Amino acid sequence: MIVLKDLSKTYKVGPSTVRAVDKVDLEIPRGQMVSIVGHSGSGKTTLLSLMGGLTKPSSGRVIIDDINIWTLSDKEISKLRNEKIGFSFQFASLFPTLNALDNVRLPTTFSGGQPTDHNRAIELLKLVGLEDRIYSYPGQLSGGEQRRVALARTLMKEPRLILADEPTGDLDEDTEADILDILKRINGEGVTIVLVTHSRAVASQAQRALRMHRGLLSEESE
Amino acid sequence: MKRLGLLYLAAQNLRRKPFRSFVTIAIVGLAAGTLFSATLLIGSVDRSLEVGMERLGADLLVVPAGYQESGQAALITGAPTSFYMDAGILNQVKNITGVNQASPQLFIESMVSSQCCTGHVQLVGYDPGSDFVVSPWLKDNLQRSLNQNEVVIGSLILANKGEQVHFYGHSFDVAGVLDATGMGVDESVFMSLDTAYLMAQESAQVAESPLDVKPGQISSVLVKKSPDTNVDQLTQRIKTNVPGTTIITANELSRSVTDRISGFKRGFIAVDAIVWIMSLLTIAAIFSMIVNERQREIGLLRAMGSSRRFVFRLMLAEAVFLTAAGGIAGIFVGGAALFIFKAIITSSLGIPYLWPPLLTFVKLMVITMLLSIVSGAVASLYPALSSSRLEPYAAIRQGE
Repeated sequence: MIVLKDLSKTYKVGPSTVRAVDKVDLEIPRGQMVSIVGHSGSGKTTLLSLMGGLTKPSSGRVIIDDINIWTLSDKEISKLRNEKIGFSFQFASLFPTLNALDNVRLPTTFSGGQPTDHNRAIELLKLVGLEDRIYSYPGQLSGGEQRRVALARTLMKEPRLILADEPTGDLDEDTEADILDILKRINGEGVTIVLVTHSRAVASQAQRALRMHRGLLSEESE
Repeated sequence: MKRLGLLYLAAQNLRRKPFRSFVTIAIVGLAAGTLFSATLLIGSVDRSLEVGMERLGADLLVVPAGYQESGQAALITGAPTSFYMDAGILNQVKNITGVNQASPQLFIESMVSSQCCTGHVQLVGYDPGSDFVVSPWLKDNLQRSLNQNEVVIGSLILANKGEQVHFYGHSFDVAGVLDATGMGVDESVFMSLDTAYLMAQESAQVAESPLDVKPGQISSVLVKKSPDTNVDQLTQRIKTNVPGTTIITANELSRSVTDRISGFKRGFIAVDAIVWIMSLLTIAAIFSMIVNERQREIGLLRAMGSSRRFVFRLMLAEAVFLTAAGGIAGIFVGGAALFIFKAIITSSLGIPYLWPPLLTFVKLMVITMLLSIVSGAVASLYPALSSSRLEPYAAIRQGE
C-alpha cells in the first residue's frame, strides 16, 4: 500500500515559490491501477517522483508498505527503488552502449545479479515482442521498440509498484495498445500501477482516476 | 553470460566518445611517458656512474696538464684519446703521503679500420703488478693474468670471448668481456702495458700507421687514497709535488656528469609538471562535461536502484580506465622513444648510460602507472562527487 500524507513539493523560481505538489493526501491499496491526468505543469510527474523517492518532499510523508521512505538512508532507499519500484518514463531511456538484453538486465547490476537474470531478461523481451531484437542496440531500434525494451527493464526486478510517466506518449496505436495490455496483465498479477497520462483513453484503463490541477490532487469523479 | 558490473559499464561508457577518450589517454600518456622516460634516463645515468666508478676503483687520476677534459670524456663516454707523460711520474705519485695504491695506464686510440669496431676505440695498457681496475675482474673470472697476446674487452666491443681482434697489425685473443658499465670502459680494450709497448714497437713494421709510443711513457696514474686521507688534501699534495700534471677526481667525474644532466633535469621537471597539471585539468574538465551530458542517465541509474556510491565509483572507474590506459601508453611510447633515441641523447649530452636492472624497471613502471591512476582519481573526484549528489528527479529533468 502507498500512503501520501500532507505531501508538498515547492520550488523557488526567482523571488516566488511554486507549489508543484500541494498538501496531497492519498492512499493506494496494493494491486490497484491508478491513473493521474492533468495539464502540463500541473505537478503529475513531480507527484510520481515523490512517490518513487526520486525527489525529496518539502513536507509530508511517502509511506510504502508501512515505511516512510524519507527516513531511509541513501543505500536503503536505493535498494527499495531497485527491489520494489519500477519506473517507466515518457522518453526513450535506454543506454546507447548496451544492447537490448543488457539494458533489460541493467537493474540487476545494483543487486549483485543472479545466473537466472539472463533468461528472465530474454523472457521479458519475448513478452514485449522483441525476441528477435535481443542483441540490437538502441540506435538500431525504433522509438516504439525502445519503449518496449524500457518496459521490459521496468519489469526486470518484479516490482510491486510501477510508476509510469506517459508510458504510451508519442507511440502509435498498436504499440500503445500492446503496452497497456502488458501493464494490465502485470496489474492482474497484483502489481500496483500508477500511471500519469494526458490521454483519457489511457486513463480509462485504470481502476481509479485522479486529476492533478495546480498541485492539488482530486478524484476524477468528484 | 557476461556480468553487468561497474567496470563493464564504465568501459562501455568510454566507447561512446572514442575521440574524447583517445585525447584523454594521449594527454595522460604524454605526462606518464615524459615521466617514465626521463626518470629512466636519469636513473640509467646514475646507475652507469655508480657501476662505472666502481669498476674504475680509483679516487683520482693523474693526467698530463691540459688533458683534464679529454681524460674525463674518455672515462665517461669512451671517447678515444691519447696523451702521454713520463712514467717517472708514477713513482712521484706513489711517494706522496696519503696514496695507498697507484697504477699507470697507457691510452692508445685504435685505427678506424679495426676489425672489431666501428670508428676508434680506446686501447688501454695497464700494469698487472699494480692494477686495480681489470686485475680484480681477471682474478674473479679468469683466475689468472693476461698472456702477452690476450686482451679483455668492454661490453660494447663487437667480439666474443675466444675470438680474435686486430690492432696495429697485431692479433689478440679475447680472454674475456667485461660487464657493462655504460661508461667509457665499455668501449675500451685492455691489455698489459708490456703488450701495449710491444704492439707500439712492432707497429712500425706491421701496421699501416705506426704508433709513436715508447716504453717509459704512460697516460695516467690511477690513485687509491689511504682510508684516512681527504681527497681534496691529496689532490693538493699531488698538484704541488708533481708539476705538469692535472688531477681528475672521482667526485669531479660524477659532478661533470651531474652538471651535464642538471639542465635536462630542470627542464624535465618543469615540462612534466606542466604536462601533469594540464592533464589533471583536462581530465577534470572532461569529466565535468561527461557529468553534464549524462545527467539523465545518472538519474535513470538512480531510479533503477543505483546508490550514490555506485554512481561515484562508476565515474571514478571511467577516469581510472582512461588514465591507466594513458599510463600504459606512456610507458610503452616513452620507453620505446628512449630506446630508439638513447644513442643520440647520450652522445649529445655526453653522459654515460646503463639500462637499470629489471626490478628497477618494473618498479618505475608500477610507480608511473600508480601516479597515472591516482591522477585520474583525483582529477575526476569533484565531477564524480557532483554526479553522485544529483537528485535523481532533477537529473532526469535537467537531462531533458
